[in-house]
Amino acid sequence: MRKMLWAEWRKLRRSSIILLTVFATVLIAVIVLVAGRETTVDGFYLSDAGWYMTMVQPWATMFVLPAIVAMLGSYMICREEQDDTLKSLLLIPVNETTLTAAKMIVTFAISILIYLLLFAITFSVELVLHHTDLSVRMVLSFFKSYLLEGIGVFLAVSPIIALVSYTKKSYWLALLLAEIYSFAGLFMSMSNLTRSFYPITALLGVAGYYEMTTANLIGSIFILLLCGCLTVFILVWHGNGGKEKRFYGK
Amino acid sequence: MLNLVQTEFLKLRRKKMIWFMLLAAFIMPFFSFVYYNYFEASGIDPVAFYKLAAFGYTPFIILPFVLGVFCVVLMHDENRYDMLKQLWIVPVSKMGYFFSKFIVVLIYSIVFMLISAVATVLFSVLPGFVAFEWQSVGFLAERCLEIGVLTAFAVMPILALAASKKGYIFPVCMTLLYVFLGFFITSISMYLHPVSSISVIITRSGNIQGLAFAQNINVPLALFCIFIWDALSVLFAAFSLRKRK
Repeated sequence: MRKMLWAEWRKLRRSSIILLTVFATVLIAVIVLVAGRETTVDGFYLSDAGWYMTMVQPWATMFVLPAIVAMLGSYMICREEQDDTLKSLLLIPVNETTLTAAKMIVTFAISILIYLLLFAITFSVELVLHHTDLSVRMVLSFFKSYLLEGIGVFLAVSPIIALVSYTKKSYWLALLLAEIYSFAGLFMSMSNLTRSFYPITALLGVAGYYEMTTANLIGSIFILLLCGCLTVFILVWHGNGGKEKRFYGK
Repeated sequence: MLNLVQTEFLKLRRKKMIWFMLLAAFIMPFFSFVYYNYFEASGIDPVAFYKLAAFGYTPFIILPFVLGVFCVVLMHDENRYDMLKQLWIVPVSKMGYFFSKFIVVLIYSIVFMLISAVATVLFSVLPGFVAFEWQSVGFLAERCLEIGVLTAFAVMPILALAASKKGYIFPVCMTLLYVFLGFFITSISMYLHPVSSISVIITRSGNIQGLAFAQNINVPLALFCIFIWDALSVLFAAFSLRKRK
């Protein structure tokens, strides 16, 4: 597994996708920063300490980052089929389920890194704008939120990536589904019940963006773990299906 | 040109995903239905329902995103399989190739919005939220048609970008950011981004209540914004296609 993770990382370094992901993350932060200059009766939105770090979370999570994480995961999985390298890998022999699992772990790590990068950017901006109003407790609380969002986004979109690993060619579908899925979070946040049980809003609740009762919080954690279990189930089931196919011939 | 457009449509028949994407036209009408059902509303103003179902997130987020992905899908396969060389040999003019793709995007966009309009009427009239009136339905159809045409022009930068790149990752990332930027920049200025300019054009007569803007409505300026982005996109596409072999 360690070798596979190393190999996946090396493959990613050759591709421009990591740079593009970083670029997209930076641009999200810049767009929200520009929008934060909008004036209200009390002045700029940005004049409140913590506004920027708070607002980047839902907008990035409901509009851009889940789609990017899903695209990244599906890209890594689909490219083996597209570039016709899967056959060579299977000849080594590499276990297909382990290979997909390695790709999922790399996607998980990148999802966390994207959110940590977003945290670093927003924290730097807040530091420049409101260095006197920031407390260590507040910063640590935001750090925890961003970290949990990184984990949560991966868990929420992982079933979509796993489904793509089943079809191997539908990375467009992964992107489209992930975008609609995250965008629907805007409407799911309207009711307490759907907010707790819809994965995208549930992850924001777990991260602390929404205030939740303990029961709802447990429900949200459960739903995210269920997404993770569903992913494992799809991968294992697909792995077994693949073995049978190879045994009996395609 | 007509031959090129026809060929493009024949190629589309092979892609089931493109037809699947049209289902996205039902998203906002469905969520509007859920929203009004949640509040147990009845006898509401048709335009209030249409605003949520067809004039809100659909032209701001859903349609530009779907069209952006559609543009990338249209360009990607030919780039990936190195088909462009063969097209240039036929010979197909480079700008003819670009505009034939654009016409397909335009038709797809109009079809998408017409489906959205039909879905909006169904989700508003059938549950009894809105009484059926030809006048309001005509208004909805007219504005949906406008959104369809204008959004196709608004995503031309994505089409130009997709034409210039062999891969799909960069244009797709840019689609996401372009849509995100259009949504956010509306609060700063509506005349900087084509997507936010569309919202100005569709609310020009002031009869869509609740769509409030920071600036005064200036339709020529909004059209000018779309024109500038499109002119730059065409120049960029011409330059990048000429550079490619």
